[in-house]
Amino acid sequence: MGFIVLIARLVLAGVRRHKVQAAVLLLAVTVATATLALGLPLRGVSDALYEQTRAATAGPDVVALSGDTGPAVTSALASLANEPEVIAHHGPYRIVYADLTTRDSTSSPVVVQGFGETPGAVNRPLLTSGQWVRSGGTVLERGFATALGVSVGDRVTIAGRPYPVVGIAVTAATSIYPWAAQIGPGGGPSDYSGLAWMTRSDARALASSQDLPVALALDVKLRDPATAQAFLDAHRVSTLMVNFHTWQFTAEQDMVILRDTQPILVVGSWLLSFLAITGVAALAAGRTVEQTRRAGLLKAVGAAPGLIATVLLTEYLALALAGDALGLVIARLIAPAIASPTASRIGDAAGPGGATVATATVLAVAVAVLSTLRPTLRAMRTATVTALSATAHQPRHRPWLTALSALLPTPLLLGLRLTARRPGRAVLQACSTATTVIAIVALLTLYAQPERGYGLDGSSALPNLRGEHDRRLMLTVTILLIALAVVNTITLTWTTAMEARANMAIARTLGATPGQIAAGLSTAQLLPSLPGAIIGVPMGIGLLSLFAARNSAEPPSSWLLGAALATLLATAALTALPARLAARRPVAQTLSAETA
Amino acid sequence: MNVSSAAVRACGLVKTHGQGQSRVRAVDQVDLEVPQGQMLAVMGPSGCGKSTLLHLLGGLERPTDGEVWVAGRRIDTLSERALARMRRRSVGFIFQAFHLVEELSAAENVELPALLAGRSRRQARRRASLLLERVGLADRAWHLPSQLSGGQRQRVAVARALVNEPLVVLADEPTGNLDTTATLEALRIFEELRTAGQTLVIVTHDERVAATADRLVSMRDGMFVDDARLAGSPTRGLGGLIGLEG
Amino acid sequence: MQDAVLAMLAKEPSHGYHLHARLRRSLGPLGESMNRGQIYVTLARLERAGLVVCERADGLPERPERKVYALTPAGQQRVAAWLAEVGWPKPDLAEFHLKLAAAAAARLADPVELVAAQRRELLRRLREAQQAALAEPAGSGAGLLLEGVVLRLQADLRWLDACERAWSRVDDEVEGA
Repeated sequence: MGFIVLIARLVLAGVRRHKVQAAVLLLAVTVATATLALGLPLRGVSDALYEQTRAATAGPDVVALSGDTGPAVTSALASLANEPEVIAHHGPYRIVYADLTTRDSTSSPVVVQGFGETPGAVNRPLLTSGQWVRSGGTVLERGFATALGVSVGDRVTIAGRPYPVVGIAVTAATSIYPWAAQIGPGGGPSDYSGLAWMTRSDARALASSQDLPVALALDVKLRDPATAQAFLDAHRVSTLMVNFHTWQFTAEQDMVILRDTQPILVVGSWLLSFLAITGVAALAAGRTVEQTRRAGLLKAVGAAPGLIATVLLTEYLALALAGDALGLVIARLIAPAIASPTASRIGDAAGPGGATVATATVLAVAVAVLSTLRPTLRAMRTATVTALSATAHQPRHRPWLTALSALLPTPLLLGLRLTARRPGRAVLQACSTATTVIAIVALLTLYAQPERGYGLDGSSALPNLRGEHDRRLMLTVTILLIALAVVNTITLTWTTAMEARANMAIARTLGATPGQIAAGLSTAQLLPSLPGAIIGVPMGIGLLSLFAARNSAEPPSSWLLGAALATLLATAALTALPARLAARRPVAQTLSAETA
Repeated sequence: MNVSSAAVRACGLVKTHGQGQSRVRAVDQVDLEVPQGQMLAVMGPSGCGKSTLLHLLGGLERPTDGEVWVAGRRIDTLSERALARMRRRSVGFIFQAFHLVEELSAAENVELPALLAGRSRRQARRRASLLLERVGLADRAWHLPSQLSGGQRQRVAVARALVNEPLVVLADEPTGNLDTTATLEALRIFEELRTAGQTLVIVTHDERVAATADRLVSMRDGMFVDDARLAGSPTRGLGGLIGLEG
Repeated sequence: MQDAVLAMLAKEPSHGYHLHARLRRSLGPLGESMNRGQIYVTLARLERAGLVVCERADGLPERPERKVYALTPAGQQRVAAWLAEVGWPKPDLAEFHLKLAAAAAARLADPVELVAAQRRELLRRLREAQQAALAEPAGSGAGLLLEGVVLRLQADLRWLDACERAWSRVDDEVEGA
């Protein structure tokens, strides 16, 4: 008991002493776990939303569609409804291919389904506002209406005829917006289309007035929904052109819009964790000297090395687990928005599953353990006596550096020497920069992709939701990555500055100006950033090629070059601030502190 | 004496540390004039303000009140940047803790002020090897400070202080961390500097170091309490020191 | 002085001028003030005491010096006794100490001022000795002697520091009272 109290007390003292570090660790882990917890169960969330919509709208198990019309098709579809496995059906009903224009002249392809004024047993679209179809009025699918910015009471023009929008509804019978068409006219390929409902007679009138292409569809409910695929296989032999869509297929289609979402989130979370580790490791390294001294002190009063390691690890683990919990809660709150970029589905995401919680927790623990591994091991190894008089470790002589630095201006020379003193920290800085550049390259690549808008003839009056969703997510992930990288850079520069303050004070007595000192410190950070930025570009392109479509476009190299340069410039600017602050410290004070 | 012939001059110098109750006058109304070529020792118990005085003279600290002149130029009103420039040309520092840059070899440490002062690399290197030879460390030029003994490190520091041929060298307890042999080496070097006419202000509590000076001021509680000229013809021969006077 | 001259003759009989040169070599710069007359006076005293004998050697034309001094058995005994002796010169600190006490008691002078003056004097001597010591090549016998002088002076200066602290305190107490 006393042991636990002691550990708890030491941990609390550690957190209180290093509030900023604690905050950074908490933030970094929160962001990383939240991203991971969003990315991993994306399919589960999407499926859950489909399931809930399906349950609320009596979604069919199979939809049979035919691009042909006529009595043969009608009777073939009707005979399907009489099969023994079928316990209920809806239709056949008309699907009319038209275009829709809103009052503010946004145009989009639309499929109009002719439904009864009273809902049937299967496929009963759920109204989210307004009323169900009546003669002369249309109901719009919610994803479509949201994209158009149309609400109940607005008027739209479908194939040249004006209709008031009387209601907005969702259905599980079709894929989410903009894949409501499912098959194109005559069974051919379909455009990005929205979905609208009308009364059967209005749909017929619409089709005949303009001679619009029409398809027929039948929704059926099976005794056992799990046998949908078998039912489909048994009836495929028909000579007529009939397409079957099982409910599983439709659910799967919902994932199409999320195709790139999962890699963005999962890979993004790895990158974020990586930055979290580098950042926290940098913080931990800054504490190494103090930590070693504390370890020595504890050893000197008779504490076992196990206690020291436990205190150090407990502090980081506690913070990481708190971040983990916070991240999971955040993921839970925003999961539906991420998993359903259109408004075509309803429902709530269930909490993250056990696997997700476990993975996120493993990630948090890994961040804590990896970032404290070195200081902990070092603290445990260091003998008590040397630990009590711990100062920075002895530098090694690197003759190649001497040769190299002979060619550089003095501030660069100082910077290079500082970098060489802490190769591990230089690697951290390089990694941090590389990660940032990877994210920026990914973002630029997403922006460079050509895409068809959802409007009429690919007009981008209706934006491509998938591209927009991906870009928004990537932007968020990139901003988070950059934020962590900024924190990392500032921490690393400050740590370096604090460690180098004796040398910097000496240089000041020799006549170095504060400006030269600041430049030296900046250089120490900038030098490892340079290879980081250079490596980051091909690494970003390589990483993307693993996920991107074959025909994806690469961003112009001027963008990539600009990104690398901008990253370096930003790093220079970021390092300048802590470096300047450090350079302003009074020289005499630093020198006497070092002597004491 | 006119102002310009003094290498270093201070008038009414005051430096206080801390605030309120814990306010301490580290340097209290000090007037000082060090003519060119003079070697001045400042002695006093630790905490008497002698190190602070040295920092004030070298522009490492700013006085609370009073003026500091180096090479005929008032420096207590200069910007940090201008102070840095002044130090490059006019002041060389030697510290008790040596304060070498641990990452740089002996030669590089000596070169550093020369490079900061804008000399070419070749010039800096030549000056450095010349000075290291003068302090007897030509064969250790490429050693890191951690590979040198305390005495050798201090000699590197002396070479570094001299590399820009400063008007005045300011030394703070230069033998404080040295053993007897190393102290003797250091004394030899200071004696050489004195004969070479280098202006030198040494803060020390070692009588032997103080005895190398031409002039000795004693400090107590931030004030000068004694000012003695040690130079001049001895009253009797050296034999008098061991009772051999004729 | 007498003992040292005797001990130098223990090696071999020697001329007066030769003895003088050997002494000066051992003392280095410290022996500069010693003149040859002092040696002859010393030798004459030793001869009278029966510790040395003086033989007249056949002088060479170019060497006017003809007296060669040698130890008598009594002289040899005296040298042996001198070598075995462990006596050590006592620094005369009591005198200065009493000077301060008397000055303070009779208010003749400020003891702190006396200490300061003494300190200046010792520092001047230290400076002289040190300059001489540093001028000696490393490993010279005279350098070693000078080092001893320097260390002795250093010790005296430290004692003066202690005196100064003590007498300043007395001053403060008087002022305080």
